Amino acid sequence: MARDTYVFLGFLLLFAVVNIGLVVSGLLSADWTGLGVITGAGMTLALYSFLYKDNPLFKFAEHVFVGVASAYIFGQYWYPTIYGELIAEWTELEAGETANWWLLAPTALGLLMLTRFSLRFAWLSRYSFAFFVGLGAGLTIPRYISSFILAQIEPTLRPLSLSWDGFNLLVILVGVIGVLVYFFFSVEHTGVAGRVSKVGIWFLMVSFGASFGYTVMARISLLIGRVTFLLEDWLHLM
Amino acid sequence: MIQKLLDIDRRIIFVLVLVAVATPLLMGTVLPITPTKEVQAAYDEIEKRAAGDVVLVSFSYGASTVPEMQPMARAILRHAFRRDLKIVAICLWPEATGLAQEVLEDMAAEFELQYGVDYAFMGYKPGNFSVILNMGQDFHSAFPQDHWGTKADELELTRPLRSLKDFDLVFDLAAGDSIEFWWIPYGQEKFGFPFAAGCTAVMAPDLYPFLDSGQLNGLLGGLAGAAEYETLIDHSGTASKGMSAQSFAHLIIVAFVIIGNAAYFISRRTRPEQRS
Amino acid sequence: MLFFNRTLPLIVAFAFGMLGIVIYYIPHSGAQSVEREMALWVRIVFAFAYLLGLYSLLNLHWQRIRQHAAGWGYSLVAIASFSLMMLFVVYNDGHGPFAAQAAAGGYKWLFDNVHVACASTMFSILAFFIASAAYRTFRARTPEAALLLVAAVIVMLGRVPIGREISEFFPVATDWLLNVPNLAAKRGILLGVSLGAIATSLRIIFGIERSYLGGGDE
Repeated sequence: MARDTYVFLGFLLLFAVVNIGLVVSGLLSADWTGLGVITGAGMTLALYSFLYKDNPLFKFAEHVFVGVASAYIFGQYWYPTIYGELIAEWTELEAGETANWWLLAPTALGLLMLTRFSLRFAWLSRYSFAFFVGLGAGLTIPRYISSFILAQIEPTLRPLSLSWDGFNLLVILVGVIGVLVYFFFSVEHTGVAGRVSKVGIWFLMVSFGASFGYTVMARISLLIGRVTFLLEDWLHLM
Repeated sequence: MIQKLLDIDRRIIFVLVLVAVATPLLMGTVLPITPTKEVQAAYDEIEKRAAGDVVLVSFSYGASTVPEMQPMARAILRHAFRRDLKIVAICLWPEATGLAQEVLEDMAAEFELQYGVDYAFMGYKPGNFSVILNMGQDFHSAFPQDHWGTKADELELTRPLRSLKDFDLVFDLAAGDSIEFWWIPYGQEKFGFPFAAGCTAVMAPDLYPFLDSGQLNGLLGGLAGAAEYETLIDHSGTASKGMSAQSFAHLIIVAFVIIGNAAYFISRRTRPEQRS
Repeated sequence: MLFFNRTLPLIVAFAFGMLGIVIYYIPHSGAQSVEREMALWVRIVFAFAYLLGLYSLLNLHWQRIRQHAAGWGYSLVAIASFSLMMLFVVYNDGHGPFAAQAAAGGYKWLFDNVHVACASTMFSILAFFIASAAYRTFRARTPEAALLLVAAVIVMLGRVPIGREISEFFPVATDWLLNVPNLAAKRGILLGVSLGAIATSLRIIFGIERSYLGGGDE
């Protein structure tokens, strides 16, 4: 057998032995909770096996995840909304209550959306998308003007002062202008525009560096979470 | 020699990262944590509330960011419940319901809370920004019943809540763009409620403009933010315990960057014929 | 037929787009009621939109199984695990699909022990690759790249406790980097993105941008 097959079988054997040991020693309970921890650990290690090499165990775990996740999310749409707000609206009325007949309109739009998969009736789905996208675009415009443009320009143009805060404000003003000029591609970045956009690039590099540092932090945090689960909840070493 | 250093098998790097993370966790190393002013501001927002004030906590994250966000959620809720604040929890991401349920159940057991009086869990509604718009006008229209099917009118806590203006504080725990592209333009901008947030570390740098403009009153960024908040509430939770591992992992990665660049520049100098 | 296929949807987009803009500026309770109702409609339509994605996913895997394409066994695993989870979704801990969601049951068990474990692990794998990339590919080849790496190193050390133990410089410098140059750059990006989003929204409302309709003009 190939070396990888030995590694794979050895890993499975080790996993089984460790779990049997944990259950026998009482560190893991022999019930659904204990089985849950073992399942979680197994899925975690199966996915981490990708770090050694792409392998069938990783692909198996990945596809199990895809199936479970998509069904779970369907449940989250079904219970609160499709059943809770639509079906129950007409089937679980109390005495004296009337249904909200206006809900038939978004229900119809939602069902029309599903015609996307029919070659003959796909054009009907355009009405749903037109409503959704058109209304979304309309709601966006005034809110973005107010909360992103006006609300962000005002603190940028605060009065400067001869202090550390004043210096920082000046740096922010220069940086915002530099970045905006950099992203203004309708004007060639030569001469004055070129120099200003160069300043913008410097600010962008600092910002991307900060984002990279935080991204490293985020990914390491996720790793810490999984390692903590394996060491504490599964192996009880912590 | 330098080339061998540059061509090292990446699995060795993986093992070093794993050792850097696992060793401090196994040793139980603890490093002192100093809160930053953004986290202090979020803490102060909850400290300012009086007993009985109602806080809306929005869970907008999924299972992939549990290690960062769950400690944050626990710290915020622990602080709020210690101050006798009422919590109404909603979810704007479908995956968040199971995660929110777990945190709320743990807090309810710890603080002996009464459902419907001290806290309520309204569950998930699809629609992203439209949920916030809906809530802004009529909370009961957005969440006519809680996650378990009880009508919002029948819960003592949610019965008097009509719109977002009725909340004394809104706290969003986000792994996506809900803070920046949903809550601020569709909620905070129109209804002007005090707004603080916790987010994954990836997003934190993007939110500094909103801290500066006053649209966001406090921010917890990633596991470090959660650890700082735990320090402020004097509770050593998962986040605080993870910061030593975080520190050593960062040191290792900084070392990789420095060694990698040093090796690269040395190899360039010793092979001038390959310079462009 | 072109009117119903193309023109009328564009009119619908224009009408609802203008409605979305106008109701923002009308404080009258009638306009606010319209806004509330529209938000409710968007929420409900959104719920059906998920079914589109779900169908695409299941259809993709089903076609792979039917055609015995490469890796079709894994597609079988995906469909099987989907079916198992759907069984628990429908069973709803004994209450069935036409009742409120149950607090516990197989559905919750699979979420806690499979979904959460897998989702967290998938993203945490990136920690290893980011470390490998930091060593093998992040090179300060230009002054701009060097600036990026220096900023990254300062932030990486400044945001963890060990940075303060090494030197007070790191947390102080991190604080300044985030609150001044980073803020300036992000604000510039935000302004640019907002202007772009507004321009795109106007193009959608006025029917210049039609890609959301999909397909040809038939």
